[in-house]
Amino acid sequence: MRLRALSWLLFALLLATTTALKFWPTPPIETDLLALLPATERNPAAEQAAASLGRLSGERAVFLIGLPQAVDARNAATILADRLRDGRVFKNCVAKIPSPDPAALLDFYVPYRAGLLASDPHHLPVTRDDFADRLAARLSGPFGGAALPLAEDPFALFDDWLAALPFRQFRLDFEDGWLGVHDADVSWVLVSAELAGSAFDPALQRELQTALTKAEQELQHRWPTVQILRGGAVFHAAAARESAEGEMNVIGIGSLLGIVVLLLLAYRSLTPLALGLLSVGIGLCAAVLTSLAVFGRLHLMTLVFGASLIGEAIDYAIQFFSVRLGAGPDWNSGQGLKLILPGLAVALATSVVGYSVLGLTPFPAVRQIAVFAISGLVAAWLSVVLLLPWWLSRPTKQTPGALLALPAQWLDFWRARINGRTFLLLAGSLLVVAAPGWFRLTADDDVRALIQPTPALIAQEARLRALTGMEAGSQFFLIEGDDAEQVLQHEEALVQRLTAAGITTQGVSRFVPSCLRQRENQALLEASLSAQQAALDDAGFRAEALRTWQGAVGRHQACLTPADWLATPMSIPFHHLWLGATANGQASVLLPAGYRSVDILAATAADLPGVSLVDKPGSVSRLFGEFRRTGGLLLTAATVLVFAVLAWRYGLRGGGAVLLPTLLAQTIALGILGYVGSALNLFHVLALILVLGVGVNYAIFLVEGLRGGPRRQSAALLGVVLSAATTLLSFGLLGLSATPALSGFGTTLAIGISIAVTLSPGALIMATKLPGMDFTKAPCTPSR
Amino acid sequence: MSHTFARLMVLPALLFLTLLRPAAGEPNATPAAGQQLTPLLAQIEQTKVIQAEFVQTKTLQALKHPLRTSGRLVVVRGQGVLWQIDRPYRATYLIATDSVLEIGADGSRRIRKAREVPALAQTGQVFQAIFQGDTRALEAYFEVRIQSGASRWQVDLTPKPMLTRFLKAISARGGRFLDAIDIEEGGGDTTHIEFRNTLLDAPIADADREFFSH
Repeated sequence: MRLRALSWLLFALLLATTTALKFWPTPPIETDLLALLPATERNPAAEQAAASLGRLSGERAVFLIGLPQAVDARNAATILADRLRDGRVFKNCVAKIPSPDPAALLDFYVPYRAGLLASDPHHLPVTRDDFADRLAARLSGPFGGAALPLAEDPFALFDDWLAALPFRQFRLDFEDGWLGVHDADVSWVLVSAELAGSAFDPALQRELQTALTKAEQELQHRWPTVQILRGGAVFHAAAARESAEGEMNVIGIGSLLGIVVLLLLAYRSLTPLALGLLSVGIGLCAAVLTSLAVFGRLHLMTLVFGASLIGEAIDYAIQFFSVRLGAGPDWNSGQGLKLILPGLAVALATSVVGYSVLGLTPFPAVRQIAVFAISGLVAAWLSVVLLLPWWLSRPTKQTPGALLALPAQWLDFWRARINGRTFLLLAGSLLVVAAPGWFRLTADDDVRALIQPTPALIAQEARLRALTGMEAGSQFFLIEGDDAEQVLQHEEALVQRLTAAGITTQGVSRFVPSCLRQRENQALLEASLSAQQAALDDAGFRAEALRTWQGAVGRHQACLTPADWLATPMSIPFHHLWLGATANGQASVLLPAGYRSVDILAATAADLPGVSLVDKPGSVSRLFGEFRRTGGLLLTAATVLVFAVLAWRYGLRGGGAVLLPTLLAQTIALGILGYVGSALNLFHVLALILVLGVGVNYAIFLVEGLRGGPRRQSAALLGVVLSAATTLLSFGLLGLSATPALSGFGTTLAIGISIAVTLSPGALIMATKLPGMDFTKAPCTPSR
Repeated sequence: MSHTFARLMVLPALLFLTLLRPAAGEPNATPAAGQQLTPLLAQIEQTKVIQAEFVQTKTLQALKHPLRTSGRLVVVRGQGVLWQIDRPYRATYLIATDSVLEIGADGSRRIRKAREVPALAQTGQVFQAIFQGDTRALEAYFEVRIQSGASRWQVDLTPKPMLTRFLKAISARGGRFLDAIDIEEGGGDTTHIEFRNTLLDAPIADADREFFSH
């Protein structure tokens, strides 16, 4: 016993050291919300594109500085940019923008201009009159004049091409080196910044927060009316991290405090408290290390959940303390362990079954929670079994305290008033009461259950979007082809459809038409050359100028290609639109904007070759929904497994009796969720599965504990009450989480487990006729 | 949004600005030269409605003969600029902040919303700025120099380096209102616009009012 205990202690020490080393100097904690989302796309190129777009938005931050006077707004923007640039947070932070160079744009496109036409070929001018009209418009309209001299572009075709380039989808204006926008009485100036590191780096987030607060205070001091709007993934990440850390502290400290108070009250000694916390600590270290070994990084959400695991992990230790308390002066730690070991094993097994079923779902967040919980519980359990018998080998002088009065009365009430038939009657009537609740259940599979942005940030970003016209759509098209040319052709077909549907687009084909399109365009122009010549003659074009134009139209050369375009500096902001080589060939991304619903996008692109709509939030939501609906299957699987474990220990009927209160708890909890109007999602269903694995523990502890004499029974009852209280406290605190998934999870667990605990004496009643399980005799109220 | 990105999205806007050359002379200079504003220029700035006739002569390298168009313009502060060509054919443009309405000789109408063609928003704003005494947008692209005497004034606009390839100089001169604009383009083409019969704050014809309230 001693050897086992000491080696486990040594192992635990090793665990703790390793964990400490892992967390120092930077904890390997993941705060990227996207990391929580499962891979939804069958096509790896789509996942790749979604990831790179996500990364891109993560690297950027924008600010809008608003003041009544444009001059003040510009000064304020300069100060903000200077202050932010000073730190190590941004590698680039710009308020004032150097003069743009339209010449570079011209020089790039001019050689290819015969193949570059803005409108699709069906709308091109054809007749002499068409060309005469265009020429007249260029010559005399208030917008006459053009980027090129008249002889180079008499019909303003190249001008139209330039104007149609999707550079400008924003409402911002270039004003003397500033990008600004004006609403009713505020001048806004844009400051744009590129992060020096990952948006999810906590150190960077903290530095950003400090630098920003300082800069904001300075601005507010000089201009009390200044408004600062911010946008960027980094702010969401920082807010999510802060809120998660806060929750982790509340849940962790709350659970620990609860344990301290309850254990001190119950056992009136520091030793059980210290040993209980030790077992929980070893459990948490093991949970962290196992999760890190499996997943590489630990997600913050797992830690928030992990904090609530404290209340469950302490249960095994409490059972051990109870049996020691129950044994009184006759305590023999080896025998004591033997007494509770089957119960502990069954309890652990049911919990492991419950969490394993969670681990079967394809959601990274849920899987990590499952691995974390299973490893943590197993380690805590082992600590109790290996360590505590050696440490607590001497009997305790305590007697079960006054804490026990109420639960004992409760149990006595059950024994006196309720027999098998009345319990079934009670169960039946509870089900009847709960049933209408089931029919009130609604479902909401929105991905925001997992990712819940701060409302204040959402409001700021909405304002920023309204002012700037920057759209942050989360849907895009993936376009694939055997080679770059085919990708462009597929994309053009899509752009044509979307444009007809009134949806604007940003894609490489808008900057570089397919070679086919370029050739077609040039052929069309060449075909109508005589009509053009006639129109130019009528307008009095000089022969020399005419030759210049004919030369431009007739010049055949290589097509402009995406490779050419990607090599220019002006394409840098759009590089994310070209994915290049993938497993299937080449691929690009087309970003739509200005659509009312995703369905329109899907319908528009339905039958186009090489085009697929990637709607990550939609896919995740659908997956949530799918698993919510198939939750029944998971639940059945979990129930069968848990029942098998129970039947192994208590026989078929005994197992059924132990399981019954928990099954009732699940169905009633579901009814309660319906009555309070919760919209059901995957996480409620998962919680219900866990109610099975965890809630059944209390019936097990009760049935196991009440097999001994009166003193043992009292102590066991105390143990059950303490275990239930700590678990409920932890999951109840989890219910306060701002993340809907966690909060729904915690609340459902707390509701389900409370009912399971309350009804657990029913297990005794139902099992009472079975051999060796007559619990009806000895009253439980502690004898003083 | 990266810095390069910010640069790029304004490029087409700038290119469009260069399309404004035929009308880009203007009778004012507010922020930079605000203190030097002559009473004459200040008065134009105060005016709500300006109506005038124009004759535009373009001398283009590619054409054998100079090109003359004539018509009239109506500027209503805060609403837009009506630019109506009468000769050699009829065409009407109503340039508002958020849209441009084109009415062809045959009465066909085409509205282009700034949202559809974002560069138009810029164009509309600058176009109105020219006639309404708001040089904020212009100073982004030009050095503004004002000379003025008792009854005459002249404004010279020198494009900033990024525009010199397209535009050499713009000058505008006038008295009570704008009299003439001269534009010299990068390629050697020139445009001369003369304004006559200027009416300040006179009632607008019902037909014109309809354009503005379309």
